[in-house]
Amino acid sequence: MFSEQAAQRAHTLLSPPSASNATFARVPVSMYTNSSQPFRLGERSFSRQYAHIYATRLIQMRPFLVSRAKQHWGAGVQIKKLCELQPGEKCCVVGTLFKAMPLQPSILREISEEHNLLPQPPRSKYIHPDDELVLEDELQRIKLEGTIDVCKLVTGTVLAVLGSVRDTGKFLVEDHCFAELAPQEPAPCLDTDRFVLLVSGLGLGGGGGESLLGTQLLVDVVTGQLGDEGEQCSAAHVSRVILAGNLLSHNTQSRDSINKAKYLTKKTQAASVEAVKMLDEILLQLSASVPVDVMPGEFDPTNYTLPQQPLHPCMFPLATAYSTLQLVTNPYQATIDGVRFLGTSGQNVSDIFRYSSMEDHLEILEWTLRIRHISPTAPDTLGCYPFYKTDPFIFPECPHVYFCGNTPSFGSKIFRGPEDQRVLLVAVPDFSSTQTACLVNLRSLACQPISFSGFGAEEEDLGGLGLDP
Amino acid sequence: MADQLYLENIDEFVTDQNKIVTYKWLSYTLGVHVNQAKQMLYDYVERKRKENSGAQLHVTYLVSGSLIQNGHSCHKVAVVREDKLEAVKSKLAVTASIHVYSIQKAMLKDSGPLFNTDYDILKSNLQNCSKFSAIQCAAAVPRAPAESSSSEKFEQSDLQVSSETQANNELTTNGHSPPTSKQILQQPKGIMGMFASKAASKTQEANKETKTEAKEVSSAGNKAPGKGNVMNNFFGKAAMNKLKVNLDSEQAVKEEKIVEQPPVSVTEPKLAAPTGLKKPSKKAEPVKMQQKEKKRGKRMELSDDETKETESMKKKRRRIKLPESDSSEDEVIPDSPGDYEAESPSPPPPASPPPEPVPKTEPEPPSVKSSNGEKRKRKRVLKSKTFVDEEGCIGFLPRWWCRGWQFDCQVLEILGGQS
Repeated sequence: MFSEQAAQRAHTLLSPPSASNATFARVPVSMYTNSSQPFRLGERSFSRQYAHIYATRLIQMRPFLVSRAKQHWGAGVQIKKLCELQPGEKCCVVGTLFKAMPLQPSILREISEEHNLLPQPPRSKYIHPDDELVLEDELQRIKLEGTIDVCKLVTGTVLAVLGSVRDTGKFLVEDHCFAELAPQEPAPCLDTDRFVLLVSGLGLGGGGGESLLGTQLLVDVVTGQLGDEGEQCSAAHVSRVILAGNLLSHNTQSRDSINKAKYLTKKTQAASVEAVKMLDEILLQLSASVPVDVMPGEFDPTNYTLPQQPLHPCMFPLATAYSTLQLVTNPYQATIDGVRFLGTSGQNVSDIFRYSSMEDHLEILEWTLRIRHISPTAPDTLGCYPFYKTDPFIFPECPHVYFCGNTPSFGSKIFRGPEDQRVLLVAVPDFSSTQTACLVNLRSLACQPISFSGFGAEEEDLGGLGLDP
Repeated sequence: MADQLYLENIDEFVTDQNKIVTYKWLSYTLGVHVNQAKQMLYDYVERKRKENSGAQLHVTYLVSGSLIQNGHSCHKVAVVREDKLEAVKSKLAVTASIHVYSIQKAMLKDSGPLFNTDYDILKSNLQNCSKFSAIQCAAAVPRAPAESSSSEKFEQSDLQVSSETQANNELTTNGHSPPTSKQILQQPKGIMGMFASKAASKTQEANKETKTEAKEVSSAGNKAPGKGNVMNNFFGKAAMNKLKVNLDSEQAVKEEKIVEQPPVSVTEPKLAAPTGLKKPSKKAEPVKMQQKEKKRGKRMELSDDETKETESMKKKRRRIKLPESDSSEDEVIPDSPGDYEAESPSPPPPASPPPEPVPKTEPEPPSVKSSNGEKRKRKRVLKSKTFVDEEGCIGFLPRWWCRGWQFDCQVLEILGGQS
């Protein structure tokens, strides 16, 4: 682990100045490929309907589900389309789920005059006991009931259900299965420790001064200014830093100026301008010392729909001078030193959180891995580009490290798949509130949280450090 | 000795200047490796405490190490006050590093000032932020200049859109083109300069719609290289082209200057109506009308949106002194045509014959002569001149024409000693 390795060298800094001071070379980039090409959008056309994305999703996922169904329920299981169903006959159907939720915000309901409804206040979860599941395939749809967890599942999931049609016209489910993990390339064997630092939710421009010191300490650790020689030596083994979204705080998005009179807002500047300048300075310090990948997030100045396109380099005049700075998409996929990384800035997980009973972000992350789709709720409740040829959010292969940013707390887990796949799941916490980042060790595929703190007037003992007994 | 020097330095910073001395601040200020700075701070604390145990010194430390929390080993990095140091150390399972973070005279209530100190020193050292760091990255090389120059332009254009920079650069390609950055360093002379160069501005400038054009055309005439060419201007079309080129080359004025020009130029339109100029000026006329209108429009916008910037620009302008300007030249804006007339180039009598051959090619021969003949006295030398010709139109004269007495000799020389 990082700490143990750091502690191995003798402490030298509580002593008079020595003649020479060690300088460490950053581990060189041995192998890096950015595989986010599927998430790059070229010419964008929004004249298409969203139905195509569901159609292509089902077409792509069907073969995986058919093979899984055969594995689970025997090779002899009958796989039928909805139009071929006979009442009472036990068979397996593959289709896309739709969850009818009365609490789901619906723009049609909002603007409908006959209902005279006020807009619904935002809630943390929109689930309701009356939610219903409907299975849709290419031609038909059918309501589901039975042994299926309605609360947990969300719209857009492609799955296979085993059961039979009742006389009521509903499908009684006995069992269901997902596509499970995609095939995985074996992880490389590294001989030295190499780390990748995952940070998300820097939240610049948010007005909170405490996180600024934490951010500065983070940058100082990575660039080798902070710490003793041992720690600096370990920090030199950090081969990459990935900033997973929400570099700006949601406060920078305030739209007050749109509603105010022009004469009041003439001289004001958007909060994001100052925040981006600060971000540029931080990125300059980082890219002068380590390769950095910057992913946009929910509050960052790029497009809203997934996949989010990279931030424009014109916003970072100082930092783009260095070739180590890379502006990448959200979701982001890359191979770093032979280890496959895939991650998002957290919008997919938080959207599923809103429409599912699952509480733990890490659990949701694992679940998206199991259904083999990064963001099933797109385009239903999460903005998405109207794809029609392919659905790029389906996992083509299983990554070694799968992360999502901006979770409320740190979480990390090794998940094992049915074909001996081994995935490190990392829930990267929001830095502006937790002051915690994640260090992933590429050799051992383990993750260690690293947290920073200053001291404040009101802190007693070590509460701020989380070191309370 | 050199060893003790840093102790005295730190002593001075902490005790006399009452600064918060963080290791990073010390590293940049003394130009030493960060680890050495940390060791220096420690040494200072030890010695100071040894010689004077009641010394008013508060120290903050950086502690880092691992801690078992929620089932996993968490690496903690914390800045702590001296009094909490031992407590924190005892909680950590493995201590990775401890070093002095900062020294200050007063007790700090929270770590905010530490961040501010580090941030300030970092801001002034942004370009070599990893110079004294313990980790050097071989891959962190600045991009090739071709790519980086475009980012440079972004840096420099605070106010103007980069498209204007583009336009400027396009113009500079065909002439003497000092690098963009150099041009930006040259300050525009002043309103008078603007007039001077306008006289020689071509339609080409008229075609450019950007504000930059208007300003830079005018200011370009004031530049030293432009000066010689302005003189040539009166000698022929070729010279005019060259002048234009030179003006173009000097158009890459700092964008701020552009903003500064409009308010100043407000008074100019009424004086700067280039109607008086003949032939070459015919082309220039539509230019100037356009520019005038543009400037007026710009002025409106500016007064609304950017008055603050304009004011600061104005201030900047006033301090600008061109290298070749002599003390008698100033940037006073004449407020009436009369002033212009009074200050119109009135070469001394000996010089009036010389202008004669000149007027052949000069844009405004008769008017110049007349104005020259009319007004003899001239206290101030202005960068550019406007004059009233026979028809009562206000015209421009290039700067050199407005130069003081000392120029007359030069004029005489150039004109082949026809005095």
